[in-house]
Amino acid sequence: MKCTAAQHRFSELLDSRHESPASGDVRAHLAACPDCQKEFAALKHTLTALDALPAPTPGPRLRANFYALLAAEKNSAAKVPRGEHRRQRLTTWRWILAPLAACGLLVLGFLAGQRQASLPPQTARPAAEATRQELAELRQKVDRMGQLVGYSLQPQHSAGQRLQSIFATHTLQAPDPRVIAQLINALALDPSVNVRLAALETLYVYADQDTVRAGVLAALVREPNPLVQVSMIDFLAAARDPEAAQAFATISRDEQLDRAVRDAARRALVQL
Amino acid sequence: MATAVPQTDHDLMLAVREGELDALGELFERHHGRLYGYLTRSTGDRLASEDIAQTVFQRMLKYRHTYRTDGSFTAWMYHLARRCAADYFRKKQAGPANMDPADLQDYADDRPHAGEHAAASDDQALLQRALNQLAHADREVLLLSRFQELSFAEISSILECSVGAAKVRAHRAVRTLRDLYFQLQKETTV
Repeated sequence: MKCTAAQHRFSELLDSRHESPASGDVRAHLAACPDCQKEFAALKHTLTALDALPAPTPGPRLRANFYALLAAEKNSAAKVPRGEHRRQRLTTWRWILAPLAACGLLVLGFLAGQRQASLPPQTARPAAEATRQELAELRQKVDRMGQLVGYSLQPQHSAGQRLQSIFATHTLQAPDPRVIAQLINALALDPSVNVRLAALETLYVYADQDTVRAGVLAALVREPNPLVQVSMIDFLAAARDPEAAQAFATISRDEQLDRAVRDAARRALVQL
Repeated sequence: MATAVPQTDHDLMLAVREGELDALGELFERHHGRLYGYLTRSTGDRLASEDIAQTVFQRMLKYRHTYRTDGSFTAWMYHLARRCAADYFRKKQAGPANMDPADLQDYADDRPHAGEHAAASDDQALLQRALNQLAHADREVLLLSRFQELSFAEISSILECSVGAAKVRAHRAVRTLRDLYFQLQKETTV
């Protein structure tokens, strides 16, 4: 073994943690080479002195500050649910995007209404007078319910009242386009997470409708809360909406989003 | 009688990641002294080292969700420490120091005591001077390999280089330190 090769491996001998079985060759060379012995002794002396340097100790301020920081973080974690910071950051954007989304949903509602209007009238079928009257009463009831839901979902009502309105739609026997539009509206714009989740839950019944899936997809890209985002992704995956694939792919790559949301998007892509 | 098995650093950090923030207290107690030692020797500034160590633990809390299940806690901690130190000195260069004079009593005077001046020829003082004269990259790899009990695999992960490159850098740093140290010894004996 040459001196240069041996000296390159002195670090193995000088660090007991990393000594390898091949160090025997280096030791053999060292035993027979006075120049390398001198070099090795100098390095060993330097490292021994280095190891003997007194360890600097921090002042009490570091510990005090750390535990103050930990206490503050624990308080903050207890008060602020996950995703809250992000929601706060997005509040400004919500003010800008909300009117745009409202316009979009209005168009969706209009299209849904037109489609419904173009269907052949069910009441045109011959029926007994009593049945016709019963149908008319039912329609009036549904109309009133739709108006009631629309009215109660206005933001000036409390979140509890808005939730009750959504639960009331469960009693409707037939899908009413206005009620569905109101539910999509609540899903996209309501400030309460609970109301948005309840609206999404209610919309499951109408998941076979294109307008409903399009509304959920439009709301998903703006949704700031990870819990609602995951629920929306599950909704669209369960509805097997191919239009959502692009959004899922984008979400699954977005490092800014919560990991649970990205995982849900990946799972949904597999489902699609 | 069953004895409680102490949790590894990795297990504790995974617990922190899952929301058990108290586990970070145990990690602080285990590592803050060594981390402070690394920062002090690396920067030569005790005051800055306390601030940087504080920031390291602050970032552990802030970025706890990014801690990887297959990661090494110490490698992650020193990785954060290097970034925090770089950020600290970049900010310091950008503007004047802003400090409340009332806090000054909390800090030790970094300047050597008169007695230490008189003992400048002392071996440890010479070695400290030699260490301070090393290039930052050399000093860093030497401190990580000698004082922090890290494997070269962990050091290579912290320095973002191969294991072989980390070993070569450490060996080169020791040789340079030896040359500087012996040179200073010669100067003091002349």
